[in-house]
Amino acid sequence: MAAGMERRDFLKVVGVGGAGATVAGCSTGEVEKLLPYVTHPEEITPGVATWYTTACGGCEAGCGMWARTREGRVVKLEGNPNHPVSQGALCSVGHASLQHLYNPDRHPGPLVREGDRFRSGGWDEAERFLASKIDPETRVLFLTGRCGPTLDRLFDEFTAAVNGTRVRYLPGSNSPALAAAAIVYGADAPSLGDIGAARTLISFGDDFTEGTGSVEGGRGLARSNALAPDGSKGRFVYVGPRLSATGMNADEWVPVRPGTEALLALGMASAIATDPEAAGSWAPLLRQHTPATTAAATGVEEADIRELAHRFASEGPSLALGPGAGGSHRRATQAHVAVALLNHVAGAAGGTVRVGSGPNPTGSYGEMADAVEAMAAGAVDVVLVHGINPVYEMPRSSGFREAFEQVPFKASFAQARDETSALADLVLPDRHFLESWGDTNPRAGIRALQQPVMQPVPHFDSKQTGDVLLSVAAHLGSDPGASTFFDYLREAYRAEAGEGDFDARWREYLRSGVVEIDADPDPEDTADSAAAPALMPMGAVDFTPARFDEGGDLTLLVHPSPRLGSGEHANQPWLQELPDPASKITWHSWLEINPHTAEERGLGDGDIVSVASAHGTVEVPVWLYPGIREDAVALALGGGHTAMGRWADGNGVNALDLLPSDTDELSGAFAATSVTVTVTPTGSRRALATVSGSDDDFDRPIAPAVALADLGHAEEHEDEHHGELDELQGLGGFVPVPAEDGAPTAFPLEGSRHGPYENSHESEPRWAMAIDLDKCTGCSACVTACQAENNVPWVGEEQLLGGREMSWIRLERYYKQVDATRAGPLDVRFLPMLCQHCGNAPCEPVCPVYATYHTPDGLNAQIYNRCVGTRYCANNCPYKVRVFNWLRYADGVPEPMNWQWNPDVTVRGNGVMEKCSFCVQRIREAENRAALEEGRPVRDGEVVPACQQSCAAEAIVFGNIRDPESRVARVTDDERTYRVLDEFINTQPAVSYLKKVTHHAASSGAGHAP
Amino acid sequence: MSLSRPGSRARGALPHPDVRGHGEVNRDVLKMLSRPGKGWWRLFAIAATGVLVFLGSWGYQIYEGIGVSGLNSPVGWGVYITTFVFWVGIAHSGTLISAILFLFRAPWRQSIYRAAEAMTVFAVMTAGLFPLIHVGRVWHAYWLIPYPNSRFLWPNFKSPLVWDVFAVTTYFTVSAVFFFLGTIPDLAAARDKARGLRRRFYRVISLGWQGTDRQWHHFGKAYIFLAALATPLVLSVHSVVSWDFAMSIVPGWHATIFAPYFVAGAIFSGVAMVITLVVPLRKVFGLEAYLTVRHFDMMARLCLLTSLIVLYAYLSEFFMAWYSGEEIERTAFWNRLFGDYWWASWTMLTCNGLVPIMLWFRRVRHSIPALFVISIFINIGMWFERYVIVVTSLHHEYEPFAWGIYQPSIVEIGILLGSFCWFGFWFLLFTRLLPPVAIQELKEVIPPAFKGRRSSPVGSGAVAAPGVASPAGKEVTL
Repeated sequence: MAAGMERRDFLKVVGVGGAGATVAGCSTGEVEKLLPYVTHPEEITPGVATWYTTACGGCEAGCGMWARTREGRVVKLEGNPNHPVSQGALCSVGHASLQHLYNPDRHPGPLVREGDRFRSGGWDEAERFLASKIDPETRVLFLTGRCGPTLDRLFDEFTAAVNGTRVRYLPGSNSPALAAAAIVYGADAPSLGDIGAARTLISFGDDFTEGTGSVEGGRGLARSNALAPDGSKGRFVYVGPRLSATGMNADEWVPVRPGTEALLALGMASAIATDPEAAGSWAPLLRQHTPATTAAATGVEEADIRELAHRFASEGPSLALGPGAGGSHRRATQAHVAVALLNHVAGAAGGTVRVGSGPNPTGSYGEMADAVEAMAAGAVDVVLVHGINPVYEMPRSSGFREAFEQVPFKASFAQARDETSALADLVLPDRHFLESWGDTNPRAGIRALQQPVMQPVPHFDSKQTGDVLLSVAAHLGSDPGASTFFDYLREAYRAEAGEGDFDARWREYLRSGVVEIDADPDPEDTADSAAAPALMPMGAVDFTPARFDEGGDLTLLVHPSPRLGSGEHANQPWLQELPDPASKITWHSWLEINPHTAEERGLGDGDIVSVASAHGTVEVPVWLYPGIREDAVALALGGGHTAMGRWADGNGVNALDLLPSDTDELSGAFAATSVTVTVTPTGSRRALATVSGSDDDFDRPIAPAVALADLGHAEEHEDEHHGELDELQGLGGFVPVPAEDGAPTAFPLEGSRHGPYENSHESEPRWAMAIDLDKCTGCSACVTACQAENNVPWVGEEQLLGGREMSWIRLERYYKQVDATRAGPLDVRFLPMLCQHCGNAPCEPVCPVYATYHTPDGLNAQIYNRCVGTRYCANNCPYKVRVFNWLRYADGVPEPMNWQWNPDVTVRGNGVMEKCSFCVQRIREAENRAALEEGRPVRDGEVVPACQQSCAAEAIVFGNIRDPESRVARVTDDERTYRVLDEFINTQPAVSYLKKVTHHAASSGAGHAP
Repeated sequence: MSLSRPGSRARGALPHPDVRGHGEVNRDVLKMLSRPGKGWWRLFAIAATGVLVFLGSWGYQIYEGIGVSGLNSPVGWGVYITTFVFWVGIAHSGTLISAILFLFRAPWRQSIYRAAEAMTVFAVMTAGLFPLIHVGRVWHAYWLIPYPNSRFLWPNFKSPLVWDVFAVTTYFTVSAVFFFLGTIPDLAAARDKARGLRRRFYRVISLGWQGTDRQWHHFGKAYIFLAALATPLVLSVHSVVSWDFAMSIVPGWHATIFAPYFVAGAIFSGVAMVITLVVPLRKVFGLEAYLTVRHFDMMARLCLLTSLIVLYAYLSEFFMAWYSGEEIERTAFWNRLFGDYWWASWTMLTCNGLVPIMLWFRRVRHSIPALFVISIFINIGMWFERYVIVVTSLHHEYEPFAWGIYQPSIVEIGILLGSFCWFGFWFLLFTRLLPPVAIQELKEVIPPAFKGRRSSPVGSGAVAAPGVASPAGKEVTL
């Protein structure tokens, strides 16, 4: 297909493709049938979206997705509610995979190296070229990363056919968990924690609401933390030297000394196990590690350990999670083992912990290090790379780059530019997962199909790697049994499906987005898992604290970025510009340092320091962060790309440059936290590209919290505070007030039947939103979802430094109580701030041209075409949620990235104001559908704004608050409900927030109420 | 004061002891319209260059977008609005000196009101550009003007910005007409003296003035009517401008004191600007006889009075913020003094509150260089006053997470400096094209020639004061 295909041609192709909703799957010209989820297959109506199911390839979690396509282009991704992992939500990385699909830095087609440059070639030529390099004597090394189970099998078959060696590796995959499961239970898969079921949750450094699996983790945390009908509330304790964005959600933080998580877990287990023999052959270990003996090593006081242990044992169901990718040091497996013992003695194993049900890691770093050795030794003739970028993702000290360069022939299947394919001799660009067939199997019992949701983006002459391998295998003379990967995949499922109408079943797989082949998807039968699994005999495991390479005075904590992962998402501007959930910094790297440590060294925010370990040096600005121990500094992975593309290159530094090529001894996982560093000021400084104006809310009534103990009594206090105000306002705004004549609500009040409300009728809805801050995890998926839905442009680092972020949702983060010196209560507040659609909006009267006005259904509307750009509305907005198009930002979106734009939303030009519209296009679509198709009013829950849709924590509810039965009205009717700043300035917002509930005494944020 | 000396006709007029006759007035004033010297050309070249910078920067901004400024979220208004208010403020004293003092028969206005009025007109011309410079889509700025259109779209009359459009355009219109009306007799005098193209020019714009009794009668009536019309505008226009701020809910803006505070500030800055302009004018054109120390003393007193009002307003704002007990309001004002923009606030307080204290001393008031320096301080201070109000209030509002810092960009600085050149450009042209000191009013206060003694040819001509007019219906000098 020629690059530069026009939309019209594209439509033609779709049109002649037969039954409308068919998309050519492969370049062989075959046409496979794809089934949209909701719409009848016969229909593609221009202007009406078609939805396809598929599965996300953004990370190993494998969330089910719905892809919304318009006129043959996918424009938005959403979680598939049928899928057990996503359950309807989607994270920022998932949303941003659209920017991977339409990324202009994808390889334009097969590339063949000629000297220092690449020449484009055809697919046939490229495949024959690859085949010509492989003969029976060739020693082939196949490095693979993330891939579905069927592709994985094809890789294995291909490797076997060419007598090669295959190495699987993914940075950040959790092999210590697997190793520990084998040591403790002899299991062949890691244990799976049911976060949502736990009432006492302790994470020993598992950042489960970030990165891989954040959708499930975020939902789990929200459910675990939720207020129970009996007034109790789950408790979340975070153990780790650095408070991650996940940790910020904790009720308590135990700033344990780096590398000693295992000891703390053992100490707790020892305190719980009154009869150490309960731990079987592990009993001596527990006798040895009492709270008293572990207190000194961990830096946590004995009383605190006992208190923790007591709560963990008594306030069940409880669950402890071992360190994730962020806590990987040389004793990571030991930490997992200790956590497993803790769970075991507390009785969680078999309850909240399902042994052997977790997702299996993709290989380990140890195997990769062996492959490097083989390459360096000249024992490899041909290396094939798929799904990873080891030149970037392995530390420089591993010598991968040098070894790789020595290999005579290197082929890369990278779909987009990266550091590894830049060194390859042949590039065979893979298709994006939204353009190709595949399947996912994130863990036992969960499988989904990936189907192409659109024709391949015509700018790139790509071919699915499965097809390439089949074709190369054919050239090599072997018969893989299928000519296309689609056939290969389908045959695999046909073989498993057994009897019956397979075609119908296949259609059902595609329709629902979930495959259920096994009669019992969970290998651990529920009956089995009720009983605690038996412990393995204790082996020789060394539980001394992890060692960190000497050479510095501060331990360097290296963790994956919640946005960029280990760097694989770095070329997606939505993710680059998404403020980090913890630091709120965008685009560049930063070194987290405790304010006390910084003060001692005379460092301030933005001071550029030289961070030196025994293995390398990087220069990076510091960010003062109270959520990190004074003896540690932290640096996220994902920055410092050199050959990945226009948005990744040159942003930040690569933390791997500081690290040795060393592993956790027991699992072979990469030990990312393994060195100490010196931090010396360079004397220069830069402004941090942060969106945070202040980390302190000064107790303003913005993000108040309520102590659990005060719940149920709050109303008395409310009356004291607000009685007079209520009297004056007649309860104003958006509170549905019981009317005297017996009607369920009297709204709007008489006093507000003027001006913009004059024409409002009782029959019209009043759109409103409720956000439960007790559930919000600050993961920021809503921010990216909103950007994707509403064509919100990114502005780039320079503009962002000037304070011009365009995001319609600002995820505010305020510290209330953060103490890195000892274990204790933690209080960090997240608040998604979006247009409040005030009933009494300050922005409306000041606009000289009525560009912003109130619709009869309660929306604060913004008319881009009418806007002159005086910006008075933004000045007068107390919430500061209005953003201005200072420059022609939309022009900065290159072809074909602009294919992502949602045709239902205007792309804004220069000089106009914009802001959250409550996804008015979705409201109108639902209204039109209801009116046209069935002539009925819109049902509750039918309008779901993009932010609510993507919220894994289910913190956001939207609906018609005038309907007392609507979910939003019911959620709003809660003693925790408040409206930001409303009591001060009477803006009568349509967005109600539900206060966060803390276990300790909380500041209400009304400290300054008059 | 010994204002009423024997022989002085007008009530309370300041004496000009060095001027002996009407002819001298004509000579001295019209001399200024003759061929300009090198100094003028130099200044004019600077101003013209500045105008090019001004237009160039603006053009660049229109092409690229308002993003070439340093504005951001939360500081959506910055140097442009600051400068807008500054120039509107400057525009005040012209009409004040001219109209109000005329109505109150203030004795000392005659020598300076022409320059002050010209300053008003040019300052409003400059100020009026800034809202246009400031908006995101200047090509749609006309939507703020109510005009009948097929879509029945009207501006939002609740918006202070629409009031602003009315206030500023009305003020400009009235000031311009008032200014022009006052110059007509003097233009005729200039016409009588000029030759060639200049003469034609003056002939056209002097609207056939002959100095007849009838004309003087109408002129006097029209002048007093316009003065009466302009007077409330002095108060209204800056009140309306202040409501741009006061009508909002921004802490630091939302205050009832704003209207009188802004009007006093405007007069303060306007008078200071008059001093700044008139001192060099007096020196260069040798007008010491007409612009006496007494005039400056009077202006200095007005400065002192308004300085005290402005200082009171500052202090009362701080007091009210404290007295309100309102944390957000208190923080806003605390931040004003000790926050990121402390330097701007302290510049404002020093220039507008402390420096004018020196005006209590007669010696200072009578020292022209000292007054000149003080007036420059006041100009700077008043610009910073608006900067403080606009920027420090916006950057630290209700939502701490959304606080931000604003730094003007090079384009904004270019437009700010360019606006002074734009103003100077017109003012320099004015000094060459129109009599910068009112001839006819000066003559009113100068004793007439003794009977029988020949008055100078020009003096007995078109610009004679009322009562000594030449025969009607004839253009004397044609």
